[in-house]
Amino acid sequence: MKEIMAIVRMKKTGVTKKALVAAGVAGFTAVKVLGRGNLVTDLKAIEECKAKLLSMGMDEFSESGDTEKMVTSFLDGSRFFPRRLFTILVHDDDVPRIIEAIAKANRTEYGIGDGTIFVLPVSDAVRVRTGEAGEAAIW
Amino acid sequence: MLLIRAIVRPEKKDDVLAELSSAGFNAATMVDVVGRGKQKGIKIGGMVYDEIPKTLILMVIPEEAKDKVITMILAAGKTGKEGTFGDGKIFVSPVDEVYTISKGTAGL
Repeated sequence: MKEIMAIVRMKKTGVTKKALVAAGVAGFTAVKVLGRGNLVTDLKAIEECKAKLLSMGMDEFSESGDTEKMVTSFLDGSRFFPRRLFTILVHDDDVPRIIEAIAKANRTEYGIGDGTIFVLPVSDAVRVRTGEAGEAAIW
Repeated sequence: MLLIRAIVRPEKKDDVLAELSSAGFNAATMVDVVGRGKQKGIKIGGMVYDEIPKTLILMVIPEEAKDKVITMILAAGKTGKEGTFGDGKIFVSPVDEVYTISKGTAGL
């Protein structure tokens, strides 16, 4: 028995839900969270986007240093952004299939900020309605 | 790898996260939660408040960083010198596998 925690983009919630149902899961829980990942060490990856955002900046109204600082903090991973946290309980054999489904649905061309999947061991589960425990409670 | 679930005061979350980020543990997820502890909430007059707002911070870290991260959260999340009731708790659980979606690889 494993618990899969997947943190994905807000925009991808619907796609992820569809992918999970298609992959065959018993059910899942989704929570709105705020999250951030590792700091961007390779500044070349954000250069293009930064230039684009800076060209939209209103420099005549704000100190140019402020604008640049803000745009950088948006792109380099030091700021928290809304994300959706999916929690899914699955049998051990189903783990690779479901991870593949989540990853396929969530990959974008940006290369940064697509989310992370964690797999945790679960010691027991009980279905409240019937009282059955263990693997039978999942599916 | 280990999952750290730290329940801290909402007003302390920025201190805790800044401290962790400065030590190189930038990745974190936070959720606003309500809860109570051993003291069964706060009693003010006749009213008992047992849904006290807290922030739950989720982090996955390498096993060797555990002591460092926990010491930092304990130090930054404490109120006053001695600490006070309601400063929160830290739970640690094992994590089997980690995948980064954008890179498509396993690992943090």
